[in-house]
Amino acid sequence: MSSAENPLLEGLRLRRTPEPCALVIFGASGDLTSRKLFPALYSLAFRRLLPESFGIVGVARTKQTTKEWTAAMKKAVQDHGRDPFKQDVWSALADSMTYVATDFADDHGEDEVLEVLRSFDADRGTSGNRVYYLAVPPAAFETIVNELGERRGDDGWTRLIVEKPFGHDAASADELNEILKQWFREDEVFRIDHYLGKETVQNMLALRFANGIFEPIWNRQFIDHVQITVAESIGVEGRAGFYESAGAVRDIFQNHLLQLIALTAMEPPIDFTADSVRNEKVKVLRSLHTPGPKSVVRGQYGRGFVEGEEVPGYRDEPDVAAESTTETFVAAKLYVDNWRWADTPFYVRAGKRLARRETTIAIQFQRAPHPPFAEIAGDGLRPNVLLIHVQPDEGVSLAIGAKVPGQGMSIRTVHMDFLYGGAFRTGLPEAYERLILDAMLGDATLFTRADEVDEQWELVDSIVAAWRRDRPNFPNYEAGTWGPRSADELIHRDGRSWRRH
Amino acid sequence: MSVVTDVERQLGELREQEAADGTPDLRTSVMTHVAWAPPKWADAARRTLAGLDERHPSRTILLFPEPRAKTGIDVTVSMRCFAMAGVTREVCSEVIELRLGGKRAQAPASIVRPLLISDLPTFCRWRGEPPWGEPELEQLVGVCDRLVVDSSEWTGVPAAYEQLALLFDRVAVSDIAWGRARDWRGRLAALWPGIKKAERLSVTGPKADALLLAGWLRSRLRREVALTRRSAKELTRVAVDGVAVDAPLGGPPTASDLLSAELDLFGRDPIYEASVKVA
Repeated sequence: MSSAENPLLEGLRLRRTPEPCALVIFGASGDLTSRKLFPALYSLAFRRLLPESFGIVGVARTKQTTKEWTAAMKKAVQDHGRDPFKQDVWSALADSMTYVATDFADDHGEDEVLEVLRSFDADRGTSGNRVYYLAVPPAAFETIVNELGERRGDDGWTRLIVEKPFGHDAASADELNEILKQWFREDEVFRIDHYLGKETVQNMLALRFANGIFEPIWNRQFIDHVQITVAESIGVEGRAGFYESAGAVRDIFQNHLLQLIALTAMEPPIDFTADSVRNEKVKVLRSLHTPGPKSVVRGQYGRGFVEGEEVPGYRDEPDVAAESTTETFVAAKLYVDNWRWADTPFYVRAGKRLARRETTIAIQFQRAPHPPFAEIAGDGLRPNVLLIHVQPDEGVSLAIGAKVPGQGMSIRTVHMDFLYGGAFRTGLPEAYERLILDAMLGDATLFTRADEVDEQWELVDSIVAAWRRDRPNFPNYEAGTWGPRSADELIHRDGRSWRRH
Repeated sequence: MSVVTDVERQLGELREQEAADGTPDLRTSVMTHVAWAPPKWADAARRTLAGLDERHPSRTILLFPEPRAKTGIDVTVSMRCFAMAGVTREVCSEVIELRLGGKRAQAPASIVRPLLISDLPTFCRWRGEPPWGEPELEQLVGVCDRLVVDSSEWTGVPAAYEQLALLFDRVAVSDIAWGRARDWRGRLAALWPGIKKAERLSVTGPKADALLLAGWLRSRLRREVALTRRSAKELTRVAVDGVAVDAPLGGPPTASDLLSAELDLFGRDPIYEASVKVA
């Protein structure tokens, strides 16, 4: 109800709290649920952001009772939650939880879920509103969507949250979209890319569009190039089964990395509604020039040292084929072919077992055209770089040249830092908190639309197609380094280099 | 040495000391926070500040007026540094305590103005009931972007609201008593449209909270609503025409939480202003 209809609501600044609803988690005994979803739900409960009329149904194959599942989730919250554990907050959440052990294809089990939901409507007042969270492997996707569709009622609203990977190529993503379309409207589907739930990623929009000083220079005339790094120091960590068929290009590049490019390069949306933002992002994805073979490099880590500890090569990891050609590193030079960005390269790289965990977007500006101190600057006169730290150390740094105190005119590069943790010490919410809440509120701004997914896969398909023609000489980089030499050559050919670390 | 020069010197020394411990310090400010705290409020002001610094890194200027003391200014400067999660850095806020003795208590703006951080908003928290029309209030209203009061600290309500309303065109005003009742207003709003015909509001809680709640209902409904009140330290019960309203979930927010919420606001609050005028 708007404040025009109810004058008591005007200026009330109440927290955004969703309407009554039930949340159904498929894959309730899985790692994602315990490490991310329940800590996020607890944090929402801690801040009183969940609906007052609320219920959670956990669905998974694992045989266990509601009591056992609740105890497991309590431990997960204690182990992984960001907020202090409060028994009263947990008790209220735990009272709303029910577990159903079933195979997803089992009609009887799915009927049981429906019965629980109906009892929630009757006893808890969840009003027929449903949020379904598919925290399941892709193979289970079609079965669950069809089961849900067949049992869909007419009361209340329905929202479906779908975890990545959304397909493994454009054709399979199309198939999934077709299955979804049979039962759900596009505005009912929430495809998660958890990077979009990160505060610093959203801050990119604030930085660009709330500060008058950046947008006039955010283009090819002032920016020399952009570097985006999504680096992990960990290996496959028990995900070899998935990773062997996905690789870095499907695991990171197709979703997180392309989304970061889209947010960096997009035009200002007319407003911050879901469609306005996503319309602009999809335009960037459509503008991405398909890179030639020389503009993409891939790598796979061999044995090495990470933070002083010797770690095995990828092929020596459990459940990885001894001759695996799966890439654990990808770097590319991309161009956004539009008026703003023509001829401005976007160098991107993503990989596992790199020197450190880091996700950054570096905007490197053109050099000063005629610095009068060039001869005495030494190493000092470097171009300005605006560095957006997505993780860790969330914040923004601007590298500027400054005079070294004393005689003469020595210039050194210094960093002006804005650290999120320094300015806003409320603790950054986890991405899943924001995304689950937004889905309950029906706000799809931070979720990926079907046409975005299509564009992302088309680019990835063209890259992967080229790779099928040759057999890479893997491993080609040591664990604990910044990737294969070919990645350096990719950028050195243009007279540039990756950022110093 | 002038007071301001002395403050700046002390701050410089403190920054050097902080830097010497090997942990890089980050001075971060989102505002200048001025607090006017007569002696009986001094401890409460410090306690609230302790819970606030981490959330709103700022330069805080605590003004302790002692008009009957010998004329002069005592300065105490300190840094409050907090470790940042995940990085070997500390974020530091500066706290400047100024004891304004004698006539110096009548000219606070001239001391505060040179200590404000440029280009950032200035919030003034006035402890207790302001001395309406007196120079110290008039001056600080001129310096501040937002005046934060807690009318439950006042003895003169509702008459004092008339004086407060005179400031609305000069400075944005926040009232912690108003913030404290926010969730109750949400509960009442949820009773729409039934509440449209409400005749009587019964409140158990502080006088100011009750007056503001009734003022809000009157101003939004554009007609008289009678108020009856039972005194209590906190807002514990609200009833409309004899029917109790469900209490908001969770316990009452802390003083630091309430002030923190007000420090996130910019600009005037026309709903609050309208409520004050008919409280």
